[in-house]
Amino acid sequence: MAHFEIRDLSFSHATARGKACLSHVDLTVEKGEYIVLCGRSGSGKTTLLRHLKSVLAPGGKKSGTVLFNGMPLEEVPPFEQAAKIGFVMQNPDDQIVTDKVWHELAFGLESLGVAPNAMRARVAEMACYFGIQDWFHRDVETLSGGQKQLLNLASIMAMQPEVLILDEPTSQLDPIAASDFLNTVRKINIELGTTVILSEHRLEDIFPYADRAIVMEQGRIIADDTPGNIGAKLWAQKSDMFAAMPAPVRVFYGAHCEGTSPLTVRDGRTWLSRSFPQGASIPSLPDTPAPAASEPPALSLREVWFRYEKDSADILRGVHAEIPTGCIYAIVGGNGAGKSTLLKAIAGIAKPYRGKVSLFGKPNKGAKLFKGTLAMLPQDPKSLFAAKTVREELLEMCTDEEKIAAAAQSCDILSVMDSHPYDLSGGEQQRAALAKVLLTEPKLLLLDEPTKGIDGFFKEKLAETLKKLTAEGITVIMVSHDVEFCAKYADLVSMFFDGQIMTTDTPRRFFGGNSFYTTAANRMSRHVFSMAVTAEDVVALYQRNTASQEG
Amino acid sequence: MKQDAFSRCHPAVSFLFFILVMLLGVLIQHPAFVAAGVCAALAYYLLLTGTKGLKLLLFSLPLLIAVAVLNPLMNRTGRTVLFTVFSIPYTLESLIYGTVLSGIFLLMILWCGCYGAVMTSDKFTSLFANLIPALSLLLVMVLRMIPNFMRKGRQITGARMAIGKSVAGDAKYTEKAKNGMLLLGSLTDWALEGSIVTADSMRSRGYGTKKRTSFLQYRFTLRDGILMFMTLFLGAGVVFSMLRGDTAAAFTPLWDVAPLSPFGLGCYLLLLLLPTFLHLKEALTWHILRSGI
Repeated sequence: MAHFEIRDLSFSHATARGKACLSHVDLTVEKGEYIVLCGRSGSGKTTLLRHLKSVLAPGGKKSGTVLFNGMPLEEVPPFEQAAKIGFVMQNPDDQIVTDKVWHELAFGLESLGVAPNAMRARVAEMACYFGIQDWFHRDVETLSGGQKQLLNLASIMAMQPEVLILDEPTSQLDPIAASDFLNTVRKINIELGTTVILSEHRLEDIFPYADRAIVMEQGRIIADDTPGNIGAKLWAQKSDMFAAMPAPVRVFYGAHCEGTSPLTVRDGRTWLSRSFPQGASIPSLPDTPAPAASEPPALSLREVWFRYEKDSADILRGVHAEIPTGCIYAIVGGNGAGKSTLLKAIAGIAKPYRGKVSLFGKPNKGAKLFKGTLAMLPQDPKSLFAAKTVREELLEMCTDEEKIAAAAQSCDILSVMDSHPYDLSGGEQQRAALAKVLLTEPKLLLLDEPTKGIDGFFKEKLAETLKKLTAEGITVIMVSHDVEFCAKYADLVSMFFDGQIMTTDTPRRFFGGNSFYTTAANRMSRHVFSMAVTAEDVVALYQRNTASQEG
Repeated sequence: MKQDAFSRCHPAVSFLFFILVMLLGVLIQHPAFVAAGVCAALAYYLLLTGTKGLKLLLFSLPLLIAVAVLNPLMNRTGRTVLFTVFSIPYTLESLIYGTVLSGIFLLMILWCGCYGAVMTSDKFTSLFANLIPALSLLLVMVLRMIPNFMRKGRQITGARMAIGKSVAGDAKYTEKAKNGMLLLGSLTDWALEGSIVTADSMRSRGYGTKKRTSFLQYRFTLRDGILMFMTLFLGAGVVFSMLRGDTAAAFTPLWDVAPLSPFGLGCYLLLLLLPTFLHLKEALTWHILRSGI
């Protein structure tokens, strides 16, 4: 008997004016399966997942049936649903109910009325399984984002669910915490046999292990196959979602190969080695030159030292950099390396105790700085929203209708001007926030983790917007964990480590020279090609080399 | 946190102890009892907090002195006039009364300090989880929300500062006020949005499907039972002594304080020193254990 059986499920929100969120979805989930659900934001993934648990199902017009263990879901009592269907949501913070780690672990069991002794055993067991015993007594507030999300997972698993549903659980986490989290999910699936249904943008870490990948578009399932075959289907359909596939898949089909694609870097390497047994005759693409230094530079940092308190450790330890005008400059580096602090120092929010920060040849000072010189887009766009509609948001910044229209145009939010900012998708929220920031007419734009929580499609849109801005002469500085994004769109990339900028180079030379801190496309191709850092690079080289072999 | 034997007892024992000593502390005005109380509370307070706690006490010193010195200006019923200020007779009796009052005040500060160190929020909430589950959960959620709210507030402040919408700095006063209001609105929106997720998370984990049980962090052991009995027994002794009139004290218009009762004072001191004894006993055990090695 199938675990979940969805038959002809259609649904439209009460407010969506007849627009269907789900249309005629048919899906069967077997016991013990590991299923990945992918699709652009707004494609109906969340809506579909929420229909698998009655208390979370959104209100609206619904037709079709959802069977859980052969029984219509509505007829499964809430108590049983709570225990058997575990649901982890996106936001690590807001899901947590209580103030202590131990209490959060016990919360579900308390609600289910589990007897005290049984509860002690289950909580202890889960704390051990998830490695939580070291922070068992801590305040929830002292945990990192990754720990919080792990706690959410553990507190669901303490209820011993049969099926675990996760709705973009890693979108707010940094890559290392995200892959830790996903490894834990995989371990649960393998060791406990729990059925897993997971929706994700970051497919690199999951695809190799999933049993099935399901792709959604506009409320419909457009592909449902093993991860190895799904790429071929999407390529044939010329779907937008192809761009979200892991790099080995994109390279494989991008180079017009047929059959089952490699899914991991390792398999991709084997495939490339087999394709070019004698090595490549054309090993690299012509390098793009670094942007020329400008006089004065958009930003110059000279020996900048900073620490938060007199007796604390230095966060910035002699940062030195000169950034030319009109380029996209990316700073990559590990977690907690002080990248965000560096942005604060540039913005004059953190005052260095030694060294000089100058913008366009002038020292940065005072409140004037934020009117026409510099502005920063925060990590979470919600922290900029204060009004009822996007239009009002922009009116807060300036009253000139024309300027507002221009900013909305360049950020592509004209269609959502009258929506409440909280009703927008992650990508739209970010562009609305960006429009708001741009109305301060900055010459230097700082971005803190601009690709966090947004999908591949919106990333591309963001890149377009940024390119447009640099064409207008605005300099963009971003800190990011997203090496793929930096490799593809930045003009200059710097590595930030140990409070200093270690190296700066063009993305090709920068990532081409690294062996670990680099893109998946580079890791899979570095033994054959040199300095191919994006999937497009690898595809181009593959095609040139095969052409030269045949010719 | 510092290791303390009394802090590791069952929360019910600690809670009962603090309720009892605070009640007695407020009710008894007999100078000998107050002085003994301050000494005992101070001993335990210093054991718990060390030099950090001492600093807090120094800060409250001016207030305590003010209570003692200013009392005669409010209370003018004494007989022995020392001098007159602004044609108000400043009397010895009300000065003594003020001193006793400030002693009681100090006693309360000390007990509150000890309470804060011993009865952490999770002890309090788990104590009431069985008695008043809904209220206890509410309290837990509030405790979760306050730091969450503050963190979001800081985040919004920082984000708005970087687009020139600061609430500090050299902008005009009206503009700063307007920015402050917007910040508050933004925070409220965000919190409401978050509370929807929290509610979903609660319902998704079966909140309201059955009668709640609670995770027992603390087990009530025989030792806890004995301690509780001792607390109640000594407390009863003090109350008995109070009813007998051992603690009666009037300061104005004339000094009229009951003669010292060794029984009442003994019970009171023993009661207040219970946590200190526990602490010292454990320290001694450790000392012996270590020197035995």
